[in-house]
Amino acid sequence: MIWATWRMHRSIFLASIGVSAAFAIWLTVTGLIDEHAWTIFTSHHCSLNYPGSSVLCSSAYAGRGLFSSINSALCNALPAVLGLVLGVPIVAGEIQQNTNRLAWSQTITRTRWVLTKIGVGALVTAGIMGALAPLMWWWTNVTERNDRILPLNFDISGFVDVAYALFAFMLGVALGAVIRRIGWAFAAGIPLFVAVRLGERDYIRPSLLSATSVSVSPLNPGHGTDWVLNTGFLPLGDSTPPPGQTWSSSSQAINSCLGYSPGAQKATHSITYCQKVLRLHYELQIQPASHFWALQAVESAIFLAVAGALLALTVLAVRRWRT
Amino acid sequence: MSEAAVALETSGLGKRYGRKWGLEDCSFRLPTGRIAALVGPNGAGKSTLLRMAAGITRPTAGEVRVFGHSPQEQTVEVLRQVGYLDQERPLYRSFRVEEMLRFGRKLNPTWDDSAARGYLAELDIPPGGKVGNLSVGQQAQVALTMCLAKRPALLLLDEPVAALDPVAREGLMHVLLRSVVDDNATVLLSSHAISDLATVCDYVIILSASHVHVADDLDYVLASHRLLVASSEEAPQLPPGVVVVSTTSSERQTNVLVRVEQPVVDPAWQVMEPTLEEIVIAYLRAPKSTTATAGPTRADRPGEGAR
Repeated sequence: MIWATWRMHRSIFLASIGVSAAFAIWLTVTGLIDEHAWTIFTSHHCSLNYPGSSVLCSSAYAGRGLFSSINSALCNALPAVLGLVLGVPIVAGEIQQNTNRLAWSQTITRTRWVLTKIGVGALVTAGIMGALAPLMWWWTNVTERNDRILPLNFDISGFVDVAYALFAFMLGVALGAVIRRIGWAFAAGIPLFVAVRLGERDYIRPSLLSATSVSVSPLNPGHGTDWVLNTGFLPLGDSTPPPGQTWSSSSQAINSCLGYSPGAQKATHSITYCQKVLRLHYELQIQPASHFWALQAVESAIFLAVAGALLALTVLAVRRWRT
Repeated sequence: MSEAAVALETSGLGKRYGRKWGLEDCSFRLPTGRIAALVGPNGAGKSTLLRMAAGITRPTAGEVRVFGHSPQEQTVEVLRQVGYLDQERPLYRSFRVEEMLRFGRKLNPTWDDSAARGYLAELDIPPGGKVGNLSVGQQAQVALTMCLAKRPALLLLDEPVAALDPVAREGLMHVLLRSVVDDNATVLLSSHAISDLATVCDYVIILSASHVHVADDLDYVLASHRLLVASSEEAPQLPPGVVVVSTTSSERQTNVLVRVEQPVVDPAWQVMEPTLEEIVIAYLRAPKSTTATAGPTRADRPGEGAR
């Protein structure tokens, strides 16, 4: 059955490997271009604050991030596209061609049939994504994305992408098994993947690991490479807003103390004065950069758990097939 | 007398598609070692019945048993014993023919590879050819080979002779007979070509408008039906003890196909032995209400006893 699975989906497997290899070459080449520009920039003592100090500096400055947004987008889209392309045909492809009727009348239970097919497909998905992940890591390195825990970089660093890809794969398989049409399964899979990924990123990830609070000066709220979840003026002694208040509840009071009036050039009072008078301090709630690997592990576990639930759903759908 | 083993049994079997029943209240018992013909018009529920027996589809009502097991349980035990040819002849079109055979070999412990190769060689189907490039008839043959090489105890064949030329039909019937004789297999095949079937089948199931009308030995079916012909404008009274299946009349002649329990002797009627084709057509033409329960079944007959 392993051979049969490979043979059945050989063209889509090979095409995925081919396109992924092409993507790897693209990422390497553009990464080297970025790195070269960056090397020129630093070796000529150009400053990030004044990148236009010389023609050389300004062209190197422009070159060092030339492919930044396109590659960022590609890296973000890769797990979804790869997973869905490999996942959707696993069951839906057979149903659409009626070959499930052939397969299900051989001496193999449907459960074993679907589990073997999913196993082979998942291995290919994880293999491709696992091979690309170190390259994506290298690319984020050469483009100086050191603040890895920020969602911008977190999503395309480390091993979490393998979990995303496996989730997308199982989403494709399950939708294919339920909807039974390749096109519709794809059409449903893309928005679902995006919704789950972004929903998790914005609403679940910030509270996956307990956040830390640091008290800083509002004039220089440095936070290094940490991920800032919330900022605001809080009553002295509090690290989270008191009950019934939000992170921005005290900004009104601060603003009126500062005494900015329309057209005024200068504040009436200094921020330090206002903080003291109002008994407030400026607080950052952060997810420290040191949490990166722990957060990768927890988030991967969540996506793999969802993929596991989708696996159960698929087996059920295949076993209870009616038509 | 010990009772013959049952290969396939259905009781109250039904399948509903939306609000319409594709098959309703279907009950029959197919003894082992028979070649049974499943006949009926398009949409009568033949494919639905075969698909449920193969475990591909779930019944909405009633149950189906293959050698005493429900195929819906999808156990290896049942799957091993059933060879199913789907109406659509699904094959992996990108496979080469020999890869298709390898698929069969890998997935079936009872696979007879030399038989499969021999069968295809006889038909001049190149093993290196791509399945998708074969003619429709050749694809049908490959699909049939997939069923036969599994050496199942029960062959469920949906329209196996469709897309086959007359020579290939003859060949297939021969192969089926051989597997019944050699392996004591049971065959249930659906077809429109009733005349082809009569030469090889020894059991007949007539399905029409989602209902089973007849399910019995071919000999019994032939013996228990008579065609009564009266050459008069007004039909004379029917002899006692006959059950009308269908009546056709023209200006000069009235034909009545009836089911009988004993020999009919009536001077008013010319009594003829109908062919299987005539019997089948009579049931298919008959209004649903009058024949839904009119078919003779094995259980109705004295002496056969309960199972």
